[in-house]
Amino acid sequence: MAEICSPLRLPLIAGRKKPAAVTEDVCRALTRPPSGLWWAAFAAAFALLLLGTAAVSYQIATGVGTWGLNTTVGWAFDITNFVFWVGIGHAGTLISAILFLFRQRWRTSVNRSAEAMTLFAVMCAGIFPVIHTGRPWLAYWLFPYPNFRGSLWINFRSPLAWDCFAISTYFLISATFWYVGLIPDLATVRDRLASTEGGSLRHRLFSIFSLGWNGSYRVWRHYEVLYLLLAGLATPLVISVHTIVSWDFATAVIPGWHATIFPPYFVAGAIFSGIAMVLTLMLVARKAMGLEDYITTRHVDVMCKLLLLTSGIVALAYGTEFFTAFYSGNPYEEFVFLNRAKGPFAWAYWTMVSCNVLVPQLLWFRRVRRSMGVVFVLSLLINVGMWFERFVIIVTSLHRDFLPSSWASYRPTIVEVSTLAGSFGLFFTCFLIFCRILPVIAMGEVKAVLSHGQGNGGEA
Amino acid sequence: MEKRYWRSLAERENPAEFARAAEEEFPQNPLEQIEVSGGWDRRGFLKAAGFGFAASALAGCSRAPVEKALPYLNQPEYRVAGRATYYASTCGACPAGCGLLAKVIDGRPIKLEGNPEQAISRGATCAAGQASLLGLYDGLRLKQPLAAGRASTWAEVDAAILASLEKIRRSGGAVRYLSETITSPTKLAWVERFLGQFRDARHVVYDPLSASAILDAHEKTHGARLLPHYLFAKADVIASFEADFLGTWISPVEFARDYASRRAPSGRSWHAQFEGRLSLTGTKADRRVRVEPAEIPARLRQLAERIAAGDGRGDEVAERLLAARGRSLVVCGANDLEAQLWTNEINARLGNYGATLDLERPSRQRQGNDRELGKLLEELKAGQVAALFVDGVNPAAELPAGAEVGRAGLVVSFAGSLDESAERAHFVCPDHHYLETWADAEPVAGLVSLTQPAIRPLGATRAVIESLAAWCGKPGKAYDLLKESWQSRIFPRQKKETSFQVFWDRSVEAGLAEVEAAPAAHRPAGEVFRKEQPEAAQPETAGYALVLYPSVAMLDGRHAYNPWLHELPDPVTKVTWDNCASISPATAAALGVKDGDIVRVEAGTAIELPAVVQPGQHDRVIAVALGYGRKASERFAKLGPQWIDSRPSVNEQGRVGVSAAGLLGWEGGLLRYTRGAAKITRTGRRTELAITQTYGTLSVPKQLAPADGEVRPIVQETTPEELAKPAEPEEKHEELWPEDHPYTGHRWGMAVDLNACTGCSACVTACQAENNIPVVGKDEVRRHREMHWIRIDRYYSGPPEEVAVAHQPMMCQQCDHAPCETVCPVLATVHSSEGLNQQVYNRCVGTRYCENNCPYKTRRFNWFNYPREDRLANLALNPNVTVRSRGVMEKCTFCVQRIQEAKIEAKRVGEPVRDGEIRTACEQACPAGAIVFGDLNDANSRVARLARDARQYRVLEEINTGPAVHYLKIVRNREGGDQKNG
Repeated sequence: MAEICSPLRLPLIAGRKKPAAVTEDVCRALTRPPSGLWWAAFAAAFALLLLGTAAVSYQIATGVGTWGLNTTVGWAFDITNFVFWVGIGHAGTLISAILFLFRQRWRTSVNRSAEAMTLFAVMCAGIFPVIHTGRPWLAYWLFPYPNFRGSLWINFRSPLAWDCFAISTYFLISATFWYVGLIPDLATVRDRLASTEGGSLRHRLFSIFSLGWNGSYRVWRHYEVLYLLLAGLATPLVISVHTIVSWDFATAVIPGWHATIFPPYFVAGAIFSGIAMVLTLMLVARKAMGLEDYITTRHVDVMCKLLLLTSGIVALAYGTEFFTAFYSGNPYEEFVFLNRAKGPFAWAYWTMVSCNVLVPQLLWFRRVRRSMGVVFVLSLLINVGMWFERFVIIVTSLHRDFLPSSWASYRPTIVEVSTLAGSFGLFFTCFLIFCRILPVIAMGEVKAVLSHGQGNGGEA
Repeated sequence: MEKRYWRSLAERENPAEFARAAEEEFPQNPLEQIEVSGGWDRRGFLKAAGFGFAASALAGCSRAPVEKALPYLNQPEYRVAGRATYYASTCGACPAGCGLLAKVIDGRPIKLEGNPEQAISRGATCAAGQASLLGLYDGLRLKQPLAAGRASTWAEVDAAILASLEKIRRSGGAVRYLSETITSPTKLAWVERFLGQFRDARHVVYDPLSASAILDAHEKTHGARLLPHYLFAKADVIASFEADFLGTWISPVEFARDYASRRAPSGRSWHAQFEGRLSLTGTKADRRVRVEPAEIPARLRQLAERIAAGDGRGDEVAERLLAARGRSLVVCGANDLEAQLWTNEINARLGNYGATLDLERPSRQRQGNDRELGKLLEELKAGQVAALFVDGVNPAAELPAGAEVGRAGLVVSFAGSLDESAERAHFVCPDHHYLETWADAEPVAGLVSLTQPAIRPLGATRAVIESLAAWCGKPGKAYDLLKESWQSRIFPRQKKETSFQVFWDRSVEAGLAEVEAAPAAHRPAGEVFRKEQPEAAQPETAGYALVLYPSVAMLDGRHAYNPWLHELPDPVTKVTWDNCASISPATAAALGVKDGDIVRVEAGTAIELPAVVQPGQHDRVIAVALGYGRKASERFAKLGPQWIDSRPSVNEQGRVGVSAAGLLGWEGGLLRYTRGAAKITRTGRRTELAITQTYGTLSVPKQLAPADGEVRPIVQETTPEELAKPAEPEEKHEELWPEDHPYTGHRWGMAVDLNACTGCSACVTACQAENNIPVVGKDEVRRHREMHWIRIDRYYSGPPEEVAVAHQPMMCQQCDHAPCETVCPVLATVHSSEGLNQQVYNRCVGTRYCENNCPYKTRRFNWFNYPREDRLANLALNPNVTVRSRGVMEKCTFCVQRIQEAKIEAKRVGEPVRDGEIRTACEQACPAGAIVFGDLNDANSRVARLARDARQYRVLEEINTGPAVHYLKIVRNREGGDQKNG
């Protein structure tokens, strides 16, 4: 019997899957030996990670001077990368927490990997504030811990101290949320492994981490409540983390940084870049792991609409910045924005505008949103654009500030570029390993949105 | 027998075995049980773990190396460990002879300060003088005499030289003593005595920066080869032709102080500068006229004629000079006899001799005679010189044909290190560094300054007078020789003291003696010399004019060994670690040359060096600094942090800069620092210059300027007319924040008078010496990572042909609401109760957030561990200032160590700290007196008064940082504003 469904209730998962098929599809990747494509990707990512590790080791051994920074431009790639990666993380939390609370059921196919992406992105982000310090071995001083150095505390007025709290909270909540969501699936994998390799190390680990999940009604009930509560906890973080990151700049006196618009502007930008990154990863994973039935064009379409929305907010922020500068009558402020658009780093500014504002306009077209290749290219361009957004904010504001005598330029060194590459290496290495050892799709949740479970497919 | 019960058959049959088994099953003491089984018990484990942890913790801590502090058995008088002793001495960095106080802590000189009692210095120093301290601790100084390039002993060298001299004495060969200007009466006497032993002996004096023409001109006009003592303090109108008297000319510290004393808005002098390149002096002129060097004599002649006419003929300069007869001064820096004759004529006509030019007590700071030098070089070429003694000069590097020095039969050099000339010498008899020796100087007739050692000689060097005495057969110690000489020569010239010992002791204590000048035999200027003058030759019009000038840091190149001076930005171009060919913007545009393009400059010989575009320069002038490309700079090949992307501080030739000595000309028996018909061509190659300030004006680039395009009010200017108007009441802005820093005690602040500041950069080097600021090398400067805590920002305004220049010393502003303090996450920068913004090095983790948020960009970050491997050079470190390690931020502290020292002393004495008692290193060194430090809470302090001055403003006050540094506006006195050439 052919499937009949209302156009208003298009199935979220294609292929008329049955629950067992879902388990089979998702878990197959865990037991099958990795494909050549995976190995190739892993080799590339790991090579980048090694390169980055070498660069960071050299930099820590020699000094931050191995970066292209100078007295005028004290931050550049380091904090750009930090803000970029923190921003990437935001999509995961948005999809897993906010969309959960808003009952957006399409999220089930992507939330697991989006959350994993969040974790890895926050890990990448966390590295930069540590290695950017002159004495990274003392970076733990940024945390308020009891100590014997008199009553020596951190400076609670410093946005960098706030950052420490924000990022560590974010990491903890994201990790917990992700792990809790994983438990039913871990149990599924455990049970599958019991039949094939019972007693193996992998089986034992899955047993331990599934916390004795037995799929009973009670367990499911507790799980659902906890998940809802955690979603509620994680939701404010989507707003707060990037708000606090933006305060690094907004509370400073430097023209181009000192702006009240930064918190919403940064949050929107973060979600924008995060969703772009989710799309990049999903489109690859979908193809590489044969998950077309789970991550359908509909998912991509929905996320593209989110991109379009956030791109609009970001574009509005760009315009507002210029207007504020012009309207303030503050010559330093006016100059900074003219300098962005027409100064030595104009190329970076226009890269940013093209990638973040102009290119996403293509997403108004349904055909574009549903063409995987085009969306993939767009998502990459948006990531480039969002990286440049942070670069433009940080570097162009610093390099020509109040006193023209200290105006300088900035040029990254090979060490900095390698470190950036290394952070991508770390991110993709983690993600590729994640794809191999954990279910990339939340099976438990997907099963709930199958047409099987919706009662309109039924036993045919 | 006791009745025995049994519990089981097993016990009955084998009670011992049963008891053991029962114990095993139900142990009395479970702990023992575990012990028996050979495992760990809980307590044992905890003990072992505790021990292991403690042991590893202890192993992790290494015991600090034992340092033994041994007290003196007999404590030398005045020697208190850690407390500074000051020795009055005389600076040996150039022949100007500034008085010094050498600050000695624990037996080593660590800082030089001007001697306030001495008339040349009056407490100030120049950048080179400050940096000359490093010469003492120069590891490449010779530690023993050399014979034929090999290390030798004094006995051997003396024997060999005496043997050669004996031969020469018998044969009657020519003996020549070639030296720079010697102002020391004692040394002069010994040179004379030494030369007196030979039949054909002559003392040839030359100055690498020659003023021979001035002396020659006075010989012609006044009948005596004299250098007048210029009294800028008495001059109401100054006209300077190519004389950079604030930067490098003759006695810049003295001149700068005198000049600055007349630049305050009231009683202000008027200064016109005629020059081809933009000199430091030119940047301060009220009227600056761009003139080609060849035009200078004609210009002077024209001026002389206008003055002779008595009414100035509509020429502003002539009119002003005429209006200030006897209170004006015309100086000319060109080593050109004709120009100097006209200068003398003008000064004579204006009645300035005896008023602003002193010939009764003339200067001795330049005694060189180029004609004699020329003769000597010819003799050398002809091989007619049997013995040549080279003292204090480096002709092989300084003169076009200087390598001829090697052609004498016997060449003895007194150079302290193996320079280009000493390399060609048969014997090198190294002189002491001036901080190790007893000597004297008479920079101006009647002012005798003493040099006393501040440390025992670091090597087996010997004072020149000791060497000369030894070769005269009267060996003695410099101290005795000097004292003897003072008894016979100086003591009789004074009447105050009757006992020589008292006179000597007082002189040693003060570092100087004021005595009567030997009467200078000269006749009053006549007008006869005018007739001798031919009509001024038309200036050569083909090609460019080349101007070779001494840079403020390198002077004639004698400081080429000095990393502080190489890293000191040129006050005008802001270039470090290089000399460049400066060309005007118009010429640069015509030639298609940009900053850093390597050009070929040709005038006779050719050199290739980077170009720098210099606003304010004459379009047909190419200016190149002398003193670069020296052998002494080869040591900098490995200077600064070494890492994968680092580049050396030296050029392809392995040296810093390029020597321009080959381009010097000879004309009419005079060394010429300007050449006509020079050519400049592009080579197509480029280099990246190490410039500390890459953007030179306060108005932003035109295409980036906001609609109203206003100039940033960082440097503010005013005019005498504006100042005369009553001040408008200032608009008071309401303070948003509570006044939570009451500053009940001191409130340290600073005032910087931009009008007085000449940009000479003495403060920069003084700060470097005081605060242990590392040298980072050319590549790091290129990356904008120079470490100077005080920098001098130089801003141009106006059209490039007629620039107005402002120098602005910029250091940490010690803000009340410091943007750096709020953002530091670890509280490494905090505010003191006395208004200081303090940096806590050992708490700093190096986020650089403070640096980013500093609107003045005065914070400096230790990007690397800057090498401190030269243990000898490390002796110059100030023990009262921490040497910062990698990864921490640093910045100006207002010399907090000096503040603390004065406060402790005041507390000990039980008196409040008096105003002026604390002087920061920059204030102390400043010849212009432009920097004043003090307590803003004390309403009568100098700084508090200046903070209330009508010219006062604070930089970026509008962003409410509340800086503690008050600037005083520049007063521009450019009437009419017409700055046309001529």
